[in-house]
Amino acid sequence: MSALAAGAAERGLLGAGRLLGQPRILVGGGILLLVALAALLATWIAPHDPLEQDLLHMLSPPMWADGGEAAFPLGTDSLGRCVLSRAIYGARVALIVGIMSALGAMLIGSTLALLGGYFGGRIDRAIGYVVDLWMSFPPVVLSLILLVGVGTGVDKVILAVVLVDWTRFCRVVRADVLVTRRRDYVLAARLIGFSHLRTLLTEVLPAVTPLIITLFSIEMGVAIIVEATLSFIGLSVPPDVTTWGQMLADARGDIQSALWVMLVPVCAIIVTVLGCNLLGDGLRVALDPRLRQRGE
Amino acid sequence: MMLSVTNLTLSAGEQAGAKAGAKAVAVLRDITLSVARGRVLGLVGESGAGKSMVGRLIAGHTPRGFAVTRGQVMFDGRDLLQLAAAERRKLLGRRIAFIPQEPLSSLNPVMTIGQTFDEHLMLLGVASGERAAAIVNHLAAVHLPRPEAMVRRYPHELSGGQCQRVLIAMAFASDPALLIADEPTTALDVVSQTHILALLKEQQRLHQTAVLLITHDLRLAAHVCDEIAVLYAGEQVERGAAREVLGQPCHPYTRALQAANPDVHGSQRQLPALAGQMPGISALSAIAGCRFFARCPQALAACGSEPQLLREVTTGHWVRCAPGCATNPAPVAGDDLQSAAWSAPVGDWNSPPLVELQEVTLSYTARWGAFGQRKLVSHAVNKLSLRIQPGEFVGIVGESGSGKSSIARLIVGAEAPTAGRINIAGRERIPGDATVARLSRECVQMIFQDPHSALNPRRSVYRLLTQAYELDHTAGSLARKTRPERGAELLADVGLPADALSRYPAQLSGGQKQRVNIGRALCVMPRLLVADEIVSGLDVSVQAQILNLLLELGRRANVALLLISHDLSVVRYLCSRVMVMQAGSIVEEGKTEEVFARPQHPYTQLLLRSVPPADPSIAWPPAPGQKP
Repeated sequence: MSALAAGAAERGLLGAGRLLGQPRILVGGGILLLVALAALLATWIAPHDPLEQDLLHMLSPPMWADGGEAAFPLGTDSLGRCVLSRAIYGARVALIVGIMSALGAMLIGSTLALLGGYFGGRIDRAIGYVVDLWMSFPPVVLSLILLVGVGTGVDKVILAVVLVDWTRFCRVVRADVLVTRRRDYVLAARLIGFSHLRTLLTEVLPAVTPLIITLFSIEMGVAIIVEATLSFIGLSVPPDVTTWGQMLADARGDIQSALWVMLVPVCAIIVTVLGCNLLGDGLRVALDPRLRQRGE
Repeated sequence: MMLSVTNLTLSAGEQAGAKAGAKAVAVLRDITLSVARGRVLGLVGESGAGKSMVGRLIAGHTPRGFAVTRGQVMFDGRDLLQLAAAERRKLLGRRIAFIPQEPLSSLNPVMTIGQTFDEHLMLLGVASGERAAAIVNHLAAVHLPRPEAMVRRYPHELSGGQCQRVLIAMAFASDPALLIADEPTTALDVVSQTHILALLKEQQRLHQTAVLLITHDLRLAAHVCDEIAVLYAGEQVERGAAREVLGQPCHPYTRALQAANPDVHGSQRQLPALAGQMPGISALSAIAGCRFFARCPQALAACGSEPQLLREVTTGHWVRCAPGCATNPAPVAGDDLQSAAWSAPVGDWNSPPLVELQEVTLSYTARWGAFGQRKLVSHAVNKLSLRIQPGEFVGIVGESGSGKSSIARLIVGAEAPTAGRINIAGRERIPGDATVARLSRECVQMIFQDPHSALNPRRSVYRLLTQAYELDHTAGSLARKTRPERGAELLADVGLPADALSRYPAQLSGGQKQRVNIGRALCVMPRLLVADEIVSGLDVSVQAQILNLLLELGRRANVALLLISHDLSVVRYLCSRVMVMQAGSIVEEGKTEEVFARPQHPYTQLLLRSVPPADPSIAWPPAPGQKP
């Protein structure tokens, strides 16, 4: 069956080529790759420890401005901490929260969507009611109650995002499962004797995987913003953990005199979330056979 | 002449179809046709022949990347191609009217019939005070019952046939000089098709309109049209008086098309099937000579290099073929088989039945009201009994909604009956009984209607054909061969080329997909195949290939077949026994030849009258006034 293997390999190569041919995937993926590198290599590339306070250099401007120093490329905040270092270390929490929350929301949401959409009937209705009820809770209140109840920490933030956002996955993926479920090849697999589980995994899941991947990358962006929001109101992580949201909260007081301290985390958030959204949008086009044909 | 098209050539530039840098391809090559006032011209061809492109060209909707490189389209003394866009738009909907293929999707769902019609009349310039009365008159003219009430109804409240009547009324409201009808009855049932065509003829005579009827059905065109032009791969292969083209077709393609259509009456014959399929747009640039050359049963060496010219065989009958061939047609491939003894598989009546349905009912309950307290029970299948013998080819005919597809789903076990018993190979199937379920899976397999939806696009042909091998415990018949062995064997069985194994459904043609569909059903070596409308989406020449494949498989592997179809000629060709279904019950049953020759039930008679006869001298369709 070497011909088959060759065919499969060729298909794989074509797939990779198609992904890289999308400018949105290149730009979005590039941004996320840089952020990930910064997070991984933070210990080596950051000029200072993010918590180290230099009280002689409080609110010093970026190095290119008047009074700036080369030791603090993007200046310092009101406690004399290096803004660049804090931004680099902040990428760690942002990425961990983004990836883990998206993963959690994806697992819960997609599983329920597959079960509901595939089996239909009572199961689908029950899941539908839960989603409706869940979505009618104001998300911020839900997260606040949770964080006040269980305390702060990165893992608690992830839990809060997952519990709020799994419904998004469930709704969107279920619609796609419903469409696939009606295709004759799903019935054909059942008639050949495939069990429900096997049919779900080999026939239905591959058809909705592109959508799940796309949602995943968009959800990462959403989670990063939620984390920043929660940090901003001081309910996310202990003060000794550096996050972009906390940088925002700290810079709030000096917004009149030292705008750059605020601008750096804002830019970091915007660029990272933009990267997630671009990647998601590019994947959506690249992985959807209908859009792909139109694009050619 | 109301419309005359001369030497029209439409070319696809670099953007459309072909790869960048390829030279322009003539999508339509040298088309010449004309319709006079009060005449009907049929434009016949299989899908991809370019027939709809002619209609779109006249309407000015040429797709991007296509351009007319030669010829003219004269409408009432003016060249449509030279007219300014605004001038041309003034003609459309007024002097040139259209009837679309999909009546339901052509009416705005949020507007009532009256509002849609009123808008149309307003554009035509009818005074607002006169419009309401005019609408009722126009609707009455197309024999819609109670037109006053029809005005207030929405499209979804109407049947497909009624929607098409509304669209016909709108098309004739402007008293057009030219009407273009693109497959106006393809989306409709056989019975409403007859009504709609009869109505179209009546209105056309009344208004003395020139009609361009685009259709894939040669026989239907021969009865409805005065003249016919046959297209193949963008080339006009034959043109002439309708009766003559159907009665004495001269081009080998027309003859193959004519012969590939099974008959409802007359002697049975083996269908000759053309090998291969029509070349697509991307393949056209590589063909130097006659575009039919590769499939032509009587091709000469010269045909491959030189395009043929249209030659006049008899007055007004033009054929694009080599001079000798057109006048002295060689027998169509397979003609020699016609005389051979031929019959549909009768099956073994001494054995116990393979499948037996006893008083089976399948009903759906719709609930509504705040607590679901009100309910409506509708019977898709009503106390129906039937049996299928081993090796027998049985047909079920009926209109859509008669419950024929529900029978297929019941037999394969996709649906459990509300009441009654289903016995597979002598054992009753009870929901939840895994042993019988497995037994019935090995005994009965299904071929699906839409090959596009039935094949997982992410599986290769090999993994589709041998999907049953992925089960944890392979059945007895499977265990004897390895998966690659069985894959190669199935590929040969369904007549696919050896390199098809590694391809994906998107790389196959419609006919090839249907072959994979059949092959997958055959994998577990079932004793009964349930085929639900499996050829309705295919072109006539491909349909003949698939029908012959099924017959061959039936004879060789002794597989029984339950064919569910709305097409009576297909059922007659394959099946030795036929059941006619109406509203969930079987109204007539018997040997196919007897039922078709002497139908007893009025519904069977109605269905049979709705099929255009092969003999062009028989008047069809019946006039709209009389009930057919």
